[in-house]
Amino acid sequence: MLGVLGQFRHRRFRRDLSAYVDDMLSERARRRLEAHLDSCEACRQELAELRATVEALGSLPMAEAPRSFTLAAAPIAEARPRPAARRLEFGLRLATATAAFALTVVLIGDFAGLPGGGDEEEEWVRGELYSATQGTPPAPEAASAGTPEPYGVTEMPNISDVPDILEAPGISDVQREESAADETPAADQTAAPPEGTPIETPAAPLPGVTEPRGEEPTVGAVVSEEEPSEKATLEGAEVEEEVGAGAVGAEVEDEAEAGAVENQAVGEEDGGGLSREEVVRWLEIGLGAGVGVLVIVWALARFQRSMGNRP
Amino acid sequence: MVIADEEQLVQSSRKGDLDAFNALVQAYQRQVYNLCLRMLGAAAAEDAAQEAFTTAYRRLDSFRGGNFRAWLLRIASNICCDELRRHRSRPTASLDAALEAGSPADVPSHQAGPEEETLRSELGQHLQQGLATLPAEQRLVIILRDIHGLSYEELTETLHCSLGTVKSRIARGRARMREYLMARRELLPRRFRHKE
Repeated sequence: MLGVLGQFRHRRFRRDLSAYVDDMLSERARRRLEAHLDSCEACRQELAELRATVEALGSLPMAEAPRSFTLAAAPIAEARPRPAARRLEFGLRLATATAAFALTVVLIGDFAGLPGGGDEEEEWVRGELYSATQGTPPAPEAASAGTPEPYGVTEMPNISDVPDILEAPGISDVQREESAADETPAADQTAAPPEGTPIETPAAPLPGVTEPRGEEPTVGAVVSEEEPSEKATLEGAEVEEEVGAGAVGAEVEDEAEAGAVENQAVGEEDGGGLSREEVVRWLEIGLGAGVGVLVIVWALARFQRSMGNRP
Repeated sequence: MVIADEEQLVQSSRKGDLDAFNALVQAYQRQVYNLCLRMLGAAAAEDAAQEAFTTAYRRLDSFRGGNFRAWLLRIASNICCDELRRHRSRPTASLDAALEAGSPADVPSHQAGPEEETLRSELGQHLQQGLATLPAEQRLVIILRDIHGLSYEELTETLHCSLGTVKSRIARGRARMREYLMARRELLPRRFRHKE
């Protein structure tokens, strides 16, 4: 046990030898090291070798510059985006990121079946359509949503999306309509207050609700088209700030012993534009692919659910 | 080393005064070239040094004051590390050969006798070869500290890292150099041999 402790202390003292050579130890650490040196022949030997090494390195002469490096003319300025262009680019990237985040939240919310999700409202709308076209008195909640006749008339194009209901109206539809209306009071309440303007108000949430299948491929296409353009604007934009006065091994101080790891760390941090640019690009590709997959999965789930709900 | 009217020269350079910038180049070109020489070898050092000054001129607006030498050496360090990284991804024989052959063959001797000159030259070659075996960040810090004589404070500015990190990198770099030299102690001058 004492041996292990002694070895641990010995290793710590060895580590301090370099700072000791440069007189960079605190007073206390210096005294402790000197006390250890008195009793440790190996450390004394190592200190002597370390001093010889430092001395040898210091004896290396400085070469004369082979030529003058003065500039004959001011170098051409790098093609950096103008401040306005950079602001615009930042705005676009922020908007894209916000859109991706919002889309993700909506999709996750849809999966989790949170209120405001599509299915219940869809069923409610189907019920509305049915009651409007058949002239059956609607459920009390549905009645508060607006005047039936203009509603039905304005939304006639949507009927093509739900022909099965029109062909086979049944009690189950009405029941579903009632339960759906109960489950989605929020939809009713938003539609209820403007009774004087029955046409526009209920129609507002409908495109997203009644025609999800029509929109799904569009959403996917928008996402997949948006990513490359976003990437294109990114190319080399942010990275070049670090080219010259970038961080040499600044951020990651893992202090790993393995040389390969250290090499890589320096390579990645040393202010070259390339690696950071690539990292950003791959992050964006990953984000785009993730959102794309999420949209496809969401679309398939919606499709399956709507197929399963058919009578 | 800080030249007398450095701050004034930097100010004028930022306003586009090329002569003022060239005065700074002349003051620091030897240090920048030697850093590149030890990092990359003779073949690539000249281009790297020139690129460092060109980049520095373009980036003058990002210099926030403080130690101009540290800022300039930082730019040169980044360029060297970029070059080493490029070299790793597309290996070419020239850089390795230049580094491992103890490349600064063009380093002129100070006044010395022939025997001393031979020993000095041999030691220089071993040191250069030893440096070439270090990871880039350790090589960089050893060159800046033990050859260029930067203080620890300047090193934190140049490398943009903490004092603890600087100490740790120097300690590891020196330990490796010591091991490298001790493994070849029979080839080295007497002061390495009689410390056994």
